Amino acid sequence: MKNIIKIEGLTKCFGELRAVDDLSFRVKEGELFAFLGVNGAGKSTTINIICGQLSKDVGKVYIDELDIEKDLNLIKTRIGVVYQSSVLDSSLSVYDNLESRAALYGIIGDDFKKRLEELSDLLELRPLLKRTVGKLSGGQRRRIDVARSLLNDPKILILDEPTTGLDPQTRKTLWNVVTRLRKTENMTVFLTTHYMEEAADADYVVILDSGKISAEGTPLELKNKYASDFITLYGVDEEKVSSLGVNYEQLKDAFRISIPNTSAATELIVKYPEVFVDYEITKGKMDDVFLNITGKELEGGDKK
Amino acid sequence: MKTLFLLMKRNVKLFFKDKGLFLTSLITPMILLVLYVSFLGNVYRDSFTMNLPEGITVSEDLIDGYVAGQLISSILAVSCVTVAFCSNFLMVQDKANGTIKDLRITPVSPSVLSLGYYLSSFLSTLMICFLATALCIGYVGIVGWYMSIADVLCLYLDVLLLTLFGTALSSVINFFLSSQGQISAVGTLVSSCYGFICGAYMPISSFNEGLQRVISFLPGTYGTVLVRFHSTRGVFSAMANENVPAEFIKASMDAIDANFYFFNDQVSTQMMYLVLSLTIVVLIGAYILQNTVKNKVK
Repeated sequence: MKNIIKIEGLTKCFGELRAVDDLSFRVKEGELFAFLGVNGAGKSTTINIICGQLSKDVGKVYIDELDIEKDLNLIKTRIGVVYQSSVLDSSLSVYDNLESRAALYGIIGDDFKKRLEELSDLLELRPLLKRTVGKLSGGQRRRIDVARSLLNDPKILILDEPTTGLDPQTRKTLWNVVTRLRKTENMTVFLTTHYMEEAADADYVVILDSGKISAEGTPLELKNKYASDFITLYGVDEEKVSSLGVNYEQLKDAFRISIPNTSAATELIVKYPEVFVDYEITKGKMDDVFLNITGKELEGGDKK
Repeated sequence: MKTLFLLMKRNVKLFFKDKGLFLTSLITPMILLVLYVSFLGNVYRDSFTMNLPEGITVSEDLIDGYVAGQLISSILAVSCVTVAFCSNFLMVQDKANGTIKDLRITPVSPSVLSLGYYLSSFLSTLMICFLATALCIGYVGIVGWYMSIADVLCLYLDVLLLTLFGTALSSVINFFLSSQGQISAVGTLVSSCYGFICGAYMPISSFNEGLQRVISFLPGTYGTVLVRFHSTRGVFSAMANENVPAEFIKASMDAIDANFYFFNDQVSTQMMYLVLSLTIVVLIGAYILQNTVKNKVK
């Protein structure tokens, strides 16, 4: 699989502040890539550089094997962005919005109508086309934002905190569309989010802190390295649990035992089969990973 | 080209969909007309009659036509610029609400984007100013009509050029603004000051010599003078036909800036058109340059 985004030694300073500091990472074509960090970690600066909104100080950025310094306009045709807040014209109709944005990519006349048909099929836009954007519900407006980001048939879809403030149903709808696009178009999705359960579904995760990468890997690798597993034990009394000689926490009708990893869990179960009759093993959560790596919690995510 | 057209279509639609913005822009010239007629009409009339040489009489119709010409020229000279500042709100609004990000992530060049704002703002301003011109001409028709067809056409040309100038000036200034508060402040400042420094509220000839010299370097002044010249030329011609002395007519034209002097040399209308046109070209060039340079140094 080729690297569709390749960033090497990227640095961007604003005065004394190093917003992005010698950042290097790669995103493979077709993968769901999660880019995490608290506010001010350097996520938006990196995205703005990738989109050509901001110049870099040092480093190399390649998008679909094109150098951002030489082929920025070509790169812009390969990228679609869904922002956290809708940036469409709320007093214009959906059609007018999409028509004016498509024109900026040179998609006009019959080409626009054809693309609009495709997007209408994908996102069920037809009943909304004549409606004013400002009068749509949050979920409907998000669909239009996604449609706008797909107008130029991008290879990379950047989702910049796309589900913040959305209700669960709308969030689910958005992810269904994104999943379908990844399957049918092999589209690469570059995601920043405050919802850790969304990051848990990613193929690869990069965690940014103060402009630098503090951890990276697949969600499983990160969980194994930075978060403990849990065994939840049912139908036993406390005496038996305490005899195991491990840390535990009493829940309403169960006990939760904290263990370093799954193999340690297996060892414990094999050693005390009479205790482990009714139990479940749970992997650590991405929230724990993030907290253990950065020492900070992401604001806005669901706290479970 | 089609991209530019669709961008302009978006901008113009947004302007007319924003009822507050559109109505404010539209009402401004009308309010000015009512205020001028109510408060300045008699000032202009008294100023003219008090300076009439003894033994010379000018008919009431002519005086009415003279006053009306002076009033509408003041209104139009100011409106073309203030309305332009009002309608050029969109480029700041797009920055304030983040829409500009969405436009700039596309491969469209910054010069096309800036030209889109300029041309759409120009079109919106022109529609309102042409409507205001028609209203003003209608008012002159009711009060005292002495304008020829050529005067009317020249007046429309002047309004066209002043609109191009006002839109270009507002584009260059608005480029530095990024919030709605800033544009309101600038709009208020321009509305209150521009009329004075372009000679619309008070004739430049009434200022002291030093100030007159400074104002003669401001290109907007030439637009005001052109509008005033074309809206009063018919009246002064009619006065000449009624044997009003040429010296008095010239003095009256000087007094209301229908004639204009640059360091004691009278400036021809051709020269005024040239100055105004060159200023428009320079301002548009500066505006496109601002956008292009900003895009490169981000």
